[in-house]
Amino acid sequence: MPLSFVKLGETKRIASLKGKDSVKRHLQDIGFNQGEEVKLLSENESGLILLIKGVRIALNRSLAEKIIVE
Amino acid sequence: MDLRIALAGNPNCGKTTLFNELTGSKQHVGNWPGVTVDKKEGTYKKDKDIVILDLPGIYSLSPYSAEEIVARDYIAKERPDALINIVDGTSIERNLYLTLQIMETQVPTVIAINMMDEVEARGDSIDCNKISKMLGVPVVPIVARSGKGIHELMKVAAEVGKKPQKSIMKEIYSSSILDGIEQVKTILDEPQSSDRDWRAIKIVEGDEILLQNLSKDKKEKVDQVISEIEKEIPDVESEIADQRYKYISKIVKAAVKKKHVGHVETKSDKLDKILTNKFLALPLFAVIMYFMFSITFGEKVLFVLPGPGVWLQDLVVNFWEGPLTSFIVNGITSLGASEWAISLVESGILAGLGGVVSFLPQILILFLLMSVLEDSGYMARVAFVMDRIFRKFGLSGRSFIPLLMGFGCSVPAMMATRTLESEKDRRLTLIITPFMSCGAKLPIYLMFAATLFPNSNQTWILFSIYFLGMATAVIVGIILNKTMFKGGESNFIMELPQYRIPTLKSVFIHGWEKVKGFAIKAGTIIFASTVLIWLLSSFSFTLEYLPEEEMNRSIIAQIGKVLQFIFVPLGFGNDWRPVVGTLTGFIAKENIVSTFAVLFNAAEGVADAAMEGAAALPGVADVFTKVSAYSYMAFNLLCMPCFAAVGALRKEMGSLKWTFKAIGIQMAVAYIVAFCINIIGNLLVMIF
Repeated sequence: MPLSFVKLGETKRIASLKGKDSVKRHLQDIGFNQGEEVKLLSENESGLILLIKGVRIALNRSLAEKIIVE
Repeated sequence: MDLRIALAGNPNCGKTTLFNELTGSKQHVGNWPGVTVDKKEGTYKKDKDIVILDLPGIYSLSPYSAEEIVARDYIAKERPDALINIVDGTSIERNLYLTLQIMETQVPTVIAINMMDEVEARGDSIDCNKISKMLGVPVVPIVARSGKGIHELMKVAAEVGKKPQKSIMKEIYSSSILDGIEQVKTILDEPQSSDRDWRAIKIVEGDEILLQNLSKDKKEKVDQVISEIEKEIPDVESEIADQRYKYISKIVKAAVKKKHVGHVETKSDKLDKILTNKFLALPLFAVIMYFMFSITFGEKVLFVLPGPGVWLQDLVVNFWEGPLTSFIVNGITSLGASEWAISLVESGILAGLGGVVSFLPQILILFLLMSVLEDSGYMARVAFVMDRIFRKFGLSGRSFIPLLMGFGCSVPAMMATRTLESEKDRRLTLIITPFMSCGAKLPIYLMFAATLFPNSNQTWILFSIYFLGMATAVIVGIILNKTMFKGGESNFIMELPQYRIPTLKSVFIHGWEKVKGFAIKAGTIIFASTVLIWLLSSFSFTLEYLPEEEMNRSIIAQIGKVLQFIFVPLGFGNDWRPVVGTLTGFIAKENIVSTFAVLFNAAEGVADAAMEGAAALPGVADVFTKVSAYSYMAFNLLCMPCFAAVGALRKEMGSLKWTFKAIGIQMAVAYIVAFCINIIGNLLVMIF
């Protein structure tokens, strides 16, 4: 399922990334690689705040839909 | 021969803090990713032969935004003599991803593990020797904020270029990828070039820029190699990233001891739960903004306490217009200066510069408060929270702060656009910032409200004109976004820094730097234009000095008379004086009122009262109707801002062409809106 469906406080593993190559690469560079654990820290109108590799990342929903978790 | 040492690392890992500590300079540091957008140079305090370069923060050597290209090109093409890779110890795993790529360039590298104090405070430990062994480069622990370990770091960095650096690619990548890299290296056939390892691996990764630069037959051969690898590994790029991350977790497992397993909720997490909460984020932000603006611009804070900004401003203005002006004027009078020289000094230079000086206290306070918000890490959250709303008219959430500041003064507002990372967002924000009605425009509305709308609801007149500015900004934003700035990236992704208590030192450095820059830049522009307008309004074309009563013979009056026909469709082209008002408004918008006072021969004191909306200016009502007055207010709100703001616009646009484009758009928008007001207004008057 896409990351945008994860519930607050849940931790999931990244299965794959969708979208344009440049966006995929940037996500990987920031730490979103396969098998990595992400935790949903906060959520609001603008998007999500995630914890990945000990770093907080804010992203909007259209990006969150490109990250598939299991 | 100078030794060039570059600083590279992830955004917000403390590069600029380290740069300032090493060079003694005062570059802008913010607890906010993306503060450094260009490379900056300085010399090492302890050894002037060492040049230090601060590069923009990057996550990898595959560029994503414009400032990342700056960093990549410098590292890989210009190749510094040594490179200090700053690694944030609190998020070491993510930071080492860049490290592996930097090492592939074979530029002599030292790793500086920063924020060791925070690592220790968490009860964690990092074994630098182990990391050094596994990566084959020196590793030095530092605390950039306090300067701990930085001179040891420089000693190591000065030596590191003397020995060749060994490659650890064999430890990281699987045999099929290493095979591909070797084959690409053979195709490239550049045994001398020191960065061929890096170029080969980037090509296997599918780097567009490098692939484009290959000759046609080399490109074909390379494509063949890549498709060969893809038979075994379908997504090579992800696989390479994955193998890097796997090697990094090996290092982290061996060298980093964590006190707690898994993520421990930090203070930052707790704060974020409140400050970015779905329901609380916007109300809390509104409260913080209220305090910031009432402290800076308000007469009263919380309805009781005196506003420090206004209080300081009054102090400065009273001194400037009172003792200082009379001292200088008396001084040159007693020296026997002629009438025109006294006028130049008093109504030209002192009055003009006074306009700038009067803003300094508020700018200082506003920037001190902004620095606190920025250094604490809160501003990054604001950008995120506001993103959804701003996305609707083609801006990023990061545009919010500059636009809000525009209600105070466009000059600091435009300077604040520097924090916007996308050029498109920055330019669009710069164009529409002056539509937020600044404080200097308020006297114009007050004067017209008192003169032409004495029996109407004046609050509504004021409110409607502010609203008109905001609505215009939104509409212009949407239109430009669909035309001039088409096809920008619509993704928002940003690392949120940890909350930190700002240090007094850094907050004051920010405030002072901003005020100094403003005073110098705006002061020079204001000074020149003030003298020019004074000359134009004090002399006739025959260069005869005119007393104030005869201003209608002055050069500026003649210009006004020539230009006035342009404004006939807007409703105020029937007289030359409104035109001159608009022209003097370019020096400072509140000049419009004082110009009117002079041109309409108001008695002394009436002009001051009119500025506060307490008195009507006689004669103005004969020239304007209600409709043309409203059209005139709208025109002066939306047209080119004052020269000080144009100076800031020029600086932040970084391009003369774009500065003229912005002014052209503002002029056109002002004309169209004022025209519509004149037409619709007159229709309404006819109907009712």
